[in-house]
Amino acid sequence: MNAQYASLLIAVPLISAFFVPLIKGFGKRAVKYYLIAVTLIQTAIAGAVFVNVYRTGKPMIVMAGGWKPPVGINLYVGSFAALFVLIVAIISLFMAVFSLEAIETEPIDKYAMLFLLLMLGSTGMIATGDIFNLFVFMEITAITAYALTAYNKTGEAAEASLKYMILGGIGSSFFLIGIALIYGATGTLNMAQLAQLIGGVNGTVAQIGLALLIFGLAVEAELFPLNAWAPDAYQAAPHPVTVMFSAFVVKAGLYAAARLLYIMQNASGWGSVLKMVVIMAALTVFVAEFSALRQKDVKRMIAYSSISQVGMIAFALALGTQAGVEAGVFHMINHAIVKALLFLTVGYVGITLGGTGIEKFSGLGRRMPLTAFAITVGSLAAVGIPLFNIFWSKIRILIAGVEAGYTWGVALILGASVVEAVYYIRLIHTIWFGEGEGRIRENLAIGTIALFLVLLILFIGIYPNYFWTVSQKAGEDIFNVVNYVKNVPLMGVGP
Amino acid sequence: MIKRALAIITLLIIGYWLAQGLAGVPFGQDKMLVGRYYLEHVKEQTGAVNAVTAVVVNYRGFDTLGEVTVLFIASTGVGALLWRKKKKRTARTEGSVVLTTGTSLLFPFVVLFGAYIFIHGHLTPGGGFPGGATIATAFLLLYMAFVTYEIPHKVFEKTEGLAGMGYVAVGLIGLAIGGYFLFDWIWQTWGWGQSNIGRLFSGGFIPIIYTLIGIKVGTELSGIIDNMLKEGVSE
Repeated sequence: MNAQYASLLIAVPLISAFFVPLIKGFGKRAVKYYLIAVTLIQTAIAGAVFVNVYRTGKPMIVMAGGWKPPVGINLYVGSFAALFVLIVAIISLFMAVFSLEAIETEPIDKYAMLFLLLMLGSTGMIATGDIFNLFVFMEITAITAYALTAYNKTGEAAEASLKYMILGGIGSSFFLIGIALIYGATGTLNMAQLAQLIGGVNGTVAQIGLALLIFGLAVEAELFPLNAWAPDAYQAAPHPVTVMFSAFVVKAGLYAAARLLYIMQNASGWGSVLKMVVIMAALTVFVAEFSALRQKDVKRMIAYSSISQVGMIAFALALGTQAGVEAGVFHMINHAIVKALLFLTVGYVGITLGGTGIEKFSGLGRRMPLTAFAITVGSLAAVGIPLFNIFWSKIRILIAGVEAGYTWGVALILGASVVEAVYYIRLIHTIWFGEGEGRIRENLAIGTIALFLVLLILFIGIYPNYFWTVSQKAGEDIFNVVNYVKNVPLMGVGP
Repeated sequence: MIKRALAIITLLIIGYWLAQGLAGVPFGQDKMLVGRYYLEHVKEQTGAVNAVTAVVVNYRGFDTLGEVTVLFIASTGVGALLWRKKKKRTARTEGSVVLTTGTSLLFPFVVLFGAYIFIHGHLTPGGGFPGGATIATAFLLLYMAFVTYEIPHKVFEKTEGLAGMGYVAVGLIGLAIGGYFLFDWIWQTWGWGQSNIGRLFSGGFIPIIYTLIGIKVGTELSGIIDNMLKEGVSE
C-alpha cells in the first residue's frame, strides 16, 4: 500500500461531511444510514492502514502536497497512530449505529456533519507530525465538541457547553502562544525537526513554551485544574457523543501532550515539566474519584470515573520511562473499550427509561438483563478486578510508577481504586438487588455491540499478551524519538 | 476587592513569566529556517507572486483545509443550536430610503470587490477568507437595510457543501495524478501558466482553491448571520 493513501483517513470523512447538505432532503433515516456507511468506509481504510503498518513495521508518512517536511506538512502514521485511528473509526461506527436509536433531536443533518468532523479532528490530532497542524486539528475537535455538547438544547447543555467553550478557548490561546514561542526560538514547526533543534534552545524559552503547550492540551486531556467542564459536558451531551468524548477525544489530547513531551526531551528544564504533569495527573485521579463517590446520577458518576482513569493514563505517560509509556498506551486501549461499553449501556438505559438517575437503575437486572449484565462487566473491569482487562494495565502502571520512584503517586492511585470499587459495587448492588419489575425488550443492534465489547474485555483479561505486544509497539513509537526522527524524511533547509 | 486584587497579581505573575520567555527568543536574529526556503523557491515551485498565499494554500495547504473545516463547523454548530422548525425575521423598523437605496446600489460593488479579492489571491494581498468575508458583508448589508430580506437557504447550503467538496476533490485529484494529497497538479504536472507568472492565469491551483474558499466562506458567514437574525415562531 502506497503510504500516501493514508491521507484518505482525513479526506474521506471531510468530503463526506461536506456532502451531507446535499442528501438532507431524503429524510432522517437516510442521513443516519449514510453516517453508518461513511464510518464503515473509514473503518475499512483504518483497518488497511493498521495491517500495513504492523506488517511492515514502518510508519506511513503522508506528505501533503508532495512537499517534504519541514517545508510541507507531514502526517506520521506510526504504530501508535495506526492503532488509535482504527479505534477511533470502530468506536465511531458503533456510535453511528447507536445514533439510530439515540438521536431524535433535530436537525439530524447538522448532527451527522458534526459527528463526522469530531471523528476527523481526533484522527488528525493523532496522525499529524506538525505542531501548527496539531493546533488546527485540535480546534476542529474542540469546536465540534462545543457544538455537540449543546446539541440537546436544554439549559444544562447550554451551560455545560459555555463552560467548555470558555476553558477550551483559553487553553487553545495558550497553546498558540506556546507554538509562537517555540517557532520564534527554532524557526520550524515540524515535530521531527523540532526534536533535533530543541536541545540548542535557550532553557527558559523551551521550558515556558513546552509548559504552555501542555497547559493548552490539558484542557482537552481533562487534567486536574482544567477539567471542570468535563463532567457537565459528559452529562449534557447526547449519549453517543459522550462515548466519543471519553473513548477517543480525550485520548487524542493525551497522546498529543505525550508526543510533544517526548519530542522535546532534550530541552533543558524538561524534567520539571514532567513533574508538573505527574502532579496534575495524580491530583486528577484523586479529586475525580472522590467526586464520583457522591454522585446521584449514574452517567455523571461514570464521567468522573472516566476522568480519574484519564489521570492514571497521564500519570503513566509522564513518568518518563519506556515501561510507563507502554503501560499508559495499554491503559488507553482498555479504557476506550470499557468506557465505550459503560457509556453505551448507561445511555441506552437513559433513552429507554428516560433519565440516568440512580433510581432508574434499581432492579435493572430483572428489567433489562442483557444491558444490566454489560454494565456489571464494565463496572468490574473499571475497578480493575483480575480476569478483566483493566487489571493488567493498572498493575503495569503501578509497577512502572514504583520503578520511576513515584511511590506517593502509586499509593494515591491505589487508594483511589478502593474508592472506585465502593461506588461501582454500590451501582451493581442497586442493579441486581434493587426493587423493579417489568421486562423490557432490548434493542438487538445495541445488544450486539455491548456483547462484543464485553467479550473483548474478557478476552484481554484472560489473554492480555496479544494486546500487550501491540501496545508495547505503540508505546515505543512515542518513547523512541530517535527512531521517529529517523523515519521522517526531512529535507535539509536552513543554515 | 480581594478577588480583583488576586486576579491582578496572578495576571502580573503570568505576564512576567511570559515576558521571561519572550526575552529568550532572539529577536532580529535570523531564524528563518523554513522561511528562507519559501522566499527563494516560491515563484518557480508554485507560480504565485504572493508568498503568503503560496504558503497557506500550497506548501501548508493541509492547514487551510483544516481552517475551512473550522469555519464550516462554526456555521453548522450555530445552525444546530439555533434550529427551530419555523423561523422568521422579527425586525420591525423599516430602514430609511437613503439606506435602502444606498444598499441596493452598493451591493453589487461589494460582491464584485469580494470576488476580485479571492480571484487575485496569488497576486495581491488577500485571498479566499477576506474575499468571502467581504461577500458576506454584502449580505449583512441587505439584512440590515431590508426588514424582510432572506438569503436563499437551500441554494446557499448546497453551494457551501459543494465548494467544500470541491476543495477536497482537488486534493484527491492531486493524489490520483501526482501521488500526493493536495498536490498542485495544474502547476507541477501540467505546467499550465508557467510562462505567465505574475498574471491572472498562473499560480497553479491557488486561484481555483481560493475561488472555492471564497464562495464557501461567503455563503457560510451569510448563513451564520441569517441564523442569528431570525427567531423561532411558535405555531
